[in-house]
Amino acid sequence: MSALTFTLKPNLAFKLDCRHLTPNSLADLTLTQIKNLSLLNTKSSHKVSDFFEVSGENSQNIIFKNTNNQLDYIGHKMTNGQIIIEGDCGDFLGANMQGGTIVCQGNAGDRLGDQMRRGLILIDGNVGDYCGSRMIAGTIGVLGSIGKYTGYAMKRGTIILKKPAILNKPIGVLTNHSNFHSTIQDCGTHTLPFLALLFQSFQTLPSKFSGLNKQRVQRFAGDLACNGNGEILVIV
Amino acid sequence: MLINGITIDDSFAEAFNMRATRVIVTALNLKWAYHAANAMTGFATSVIGCGVEAGIERELSISETPDGRLGVSVLMFAMGSKVLMQQLETRMGQCILTCPTAAAFAGIASEDQINLGAHLRYFGDGFQTSKLIPDTNGKAKRYWRIPVMDGEFLVQETTGMVRAIGGGNFLILATSQTAALNAAEIAIEAMKKIPNVIMPFPGGVVRSGSKVGSKYPKMFASTNDAFCPTLKGLVQTELSDDIESVMEIVIDGLSFDDIAKAMKVGIEAICALGIKSGVKRISAGNYGGKLGPHHFKLHQILGGVSK
Repeated sequence: MSALTFTLKPNLAFKLDCRHLTPNSLADLTLTQIKNLSLLNTKSSHKVSDFFEVSGENSQNIIFKNTNNQLDYIGHKMTNGQIIIEGDCGDFLGANMQGGTIVCQGNAGDRLGDQMRRGLILIDGNVGDYCGSRMIAGTIGVLGSIGKYTGYAMKRGTIILKKPAILNKPIGVLTNHSNFHSTIQDCGTHTLPFLALLFQSFQTLPSKFSGLNKQRVQRFAGDLACNGNGEILVIV
Repeated sequence: MLINGITIDDSFAEAFNMRATRVIVTALNLKWAYHAANAMTGFATSVIGCGVEAGIERELSISETPDGRLGVSVLMFAMGSKVLMQQLETRMGQCILTCPTAAAFAGIASEDQINLGAHLRYFGDGFQTSKLIPDTNGKAKRYWRIPVMDGEFLVQETTGMVRAIGGGNFLILATSQTAALNAAEIAIEAMKKIPNVIMPFPGGVVRSGSKVGSKYPKMFASTNDAFCPTLKGLVQTELSDDIESVMEIVIDGLSFDDIAKAMKVGIEAICALGIKSGVKRISAGNYGGKLGPHHFKLHQILGGVSK
């Protein structure tokens, strides 16, 4: 079965809430039903087919094409399957995610993985502010730069970063040299065995992460305001 | 049956149903993987006194281990699932958790899962973290990361438990102790190449074969007097005048065929030495066929016809 593909039509004039376009939400729907879905979850006349060309049938493997930063809430409350975004996306990518995999081959906006509980989000490009905010568990990987307050109020989970040189700029009162906020604490540089397994599991994904195999990382623990069982690992 | 001048008794080994598991132990290098695995499989020769029978199955290359390091696979057998679970947790905690750089992973697939690191994680005192990571088939497996003084101890949450067989065996009857032991060593080297089996006794060889019961009421088992060369004149012996020493090789395996194959390879390696080696006969230990459901008939295993 070919992947269920949403190709964004040109000239989108406003932000679009894509929270209903997840593998679990579309699992039992026909292509016609999917095209007729209301994207905004209102009685407005905006249907999926007004904004996207829709093709394919495998709702467990969803592809977004021709995307831009106006597509918010992709993968919201997703529980299984896989979403591939062949371009940029907007805010709240993977928010409240409970399982499955999201790969964004471009940039993502603010609040990436907000309150995510389980699953994997990989970003080949840059992300905005509050990446992994209020994260409960799961894994986020970002190859590009990050915005402010990464890992804000995260309880558990792992955020993997590739570019230590372009961590967030100073944002007021800072107490450690990493430029993370003060309740994210530097635990030093270590070789972590579990990363071998994790990166091995990325090898089949259509992401630049598939080529990574590093176990040497600088480990930041936090957010200490929320138990501090989460971690930000910066590949060194 | 006569092979290369060595007599193969028309006898059989009597074996029992067991429960088994396999654990993959990796480390920074093979030296430390062996340190961990040797400790884990220490004092695990017989379920009679040790709870489990365990051994190192084989070395694993970097392409065969989950974390891409060198390692060894360990097989562990017990008479029941409860004992196996208890022994596995104890040995994991005292031998693998404690060993520098060691990590442990499930080594066998089964619907029956038993704890590998599920309880060990509490050693992390709240700093332990888990990670769900999909395997090559996309099935998510949970791993625990426990902070320890050398870094992080990585352990999979569970491993599989399967039905298995323990107690396959054969006896090497020779004209001297040296001849019996030399033949046993050669057999063990050949048998080590067979997957899914272990020979749990020291060096794979046991000299104190036992019979069921004893003149002492509290003893479950006692020396197999019929095969003790120094008792030839006192008991109903199984030994001819020229036999001066007997060694036994005990095999536990994941299936009947695995054990049969190991026995065949071991006996053939001895027979290849010929009668000049001092080995006169190959026999097998059994209890009359009334206790164990699995009978490994020597002649059948070696391609002949048994009674």
